[in-house]
Amino acid sequence: MILKLGLSALLISSAVYAASDMQKWLRPAEVPQPKDNKLTKERIELGKLLYFDTRLSSSEKFSCATCHHPKRGWTDLVPVSKAVGAGRGPRNSPTVLNTAYQKRQFWDGRVKTLEKQALGPIEADVEMNMPLEELIPKLNKISGYVELFKKAYPKEGGITTKTLAKAIASFERTVVSTISPFDKYAKGNKNAISIKSEKGFELFKDKAHCMDCHDNFNFSDGSFHNIGLHDGELQGKELGRYLTKRRAAWYGVFKTPTLRDVTKSAPYFHDGSVHTLKEAVTICANGGRYKNGVKNKSTYIIDRKLSDSEIDEIVSFLKTLTGPDMKLNIPTKFPQ
Amino acid sequence: MKKILTGFLILTSLVVGANAKNWVVNQKGKTFIPSKLSVAVGDTITFQNSDPFAHNAYTDDEANEFDVGMQATGKETHMKILAHESFNIECAIHPNMLLEVTVQ
Repeated sequence: MILKLGLSALLISSAVYAASDMQKWLRPAEVPQPKDNKLTKERIELGKLLYFDTRLSSSEKFSCATCHHPKRGWTDLVPVSKAVGAGRGPRNSPTVLNTAYQKRQFWDGRVKTLEKQALGPIEADVEMNMPLEELIPKLNKISGYVELFKKAYPKEGGITTKTLAKAIASFERTVVSTISPFDKYAKGNKNAISIKSEKGFELFKDKAHCMDCHDNFNFSDGSFHNIGLHDGELQGKELGRYLTKRRAAWYGVFKTPTLRDVTKSAPYFHDGSVHTLKEAVTICANGGRYKNGVKNKSTYIIDRKLSDSEIDEIVSFLKTLTGPDMKLNIPTKFPQ
Repeated sequence: MKKILTGFLILTSLVVGANAKNWVVNQKGKTFIPSKLSVAVGDTITFQNSDPFAHNAYTDDEANEFDVGMQATGKETHMKILAHESFNIECAIHPNMLLEVTVQ
């Protein structure tokens, strides 16, 4: 009797442990949103129009969606993005997916909020190249936008850089991942992913130490690392977060990206230099592209001695993090 | 007079030193434990790291500027509170980690 009770208690406690262990992978009940920019239907719809409107660029050929398109994993599927004019941006276009959950934005984490992030690419000469002092008057001449801003932000003085940023950020906050096979697995459907993927999940958490950085619901803890893609002295944008402040720990470090929908957003890493998930996992879990000669290489990036089949199992698991595309009506007509 | 003043200053610093406290903050599960501290000028904070990976506590507060650099598992570092100004400490690797320090 005592043995039976003990065994049931053990089973129950093991089940409870398993459930709580999986809890952190589940999506939080609410999308984080700032007090002064709560999501409303009007703000989201306005933000969506602005996001897809090419008139926000100096050439009128680029929108936010050019480099962060919903049909291309909210990126542009090239190593580094085309810019207005003949140039290209210095870094891989990061996905907009789940940026609402990030505490810092951009690869180098130079701003904290989506409101601060939203205007950067519009002004950047290697992106949309549109000075805000020209854009705001331009938008104020479009009566359709004037009306929509009044409805979305009735007490905030019409179209300003502040309300423009708030509207785009509002739309971006709605870009969240859908239910993937892994989510079903995490909620208790053990058949939602294959045995190979399940083995990959165990490796991801344990031997490969992927979870040290790719943690929680968004499969990123927002941490910054130099994963050893380049050796020797770094130049220009390769300096990463170090460009924001010359702190030794920030030399060549970049933000840990989400792994949600990761199959949709190749090529990978801040320089877009890796085209397959297998190569990406190999670099991270086997000690970096360069084992030696990397200044400030992350202490997390060490050779975990993974076999080829173990890497395949991790890749199989990563594929279970992709869900169907979110429902979205991409606007084709814009305010006049 | 100069001697009296010097003596007073030495005594004051001895009193501050005698009353100074050491506060222990652990870095565990990618959080500072505790996440809020109320301290006084002259106190010290000892940072422990119980995570299986490195942390790097720092603050950009001008009056209490502090950066421990990379802190490996099991290592301890110390910070002295220099100025009467409240500030936040973050981890340079994990920006989600935040320690709010109120200086009384």
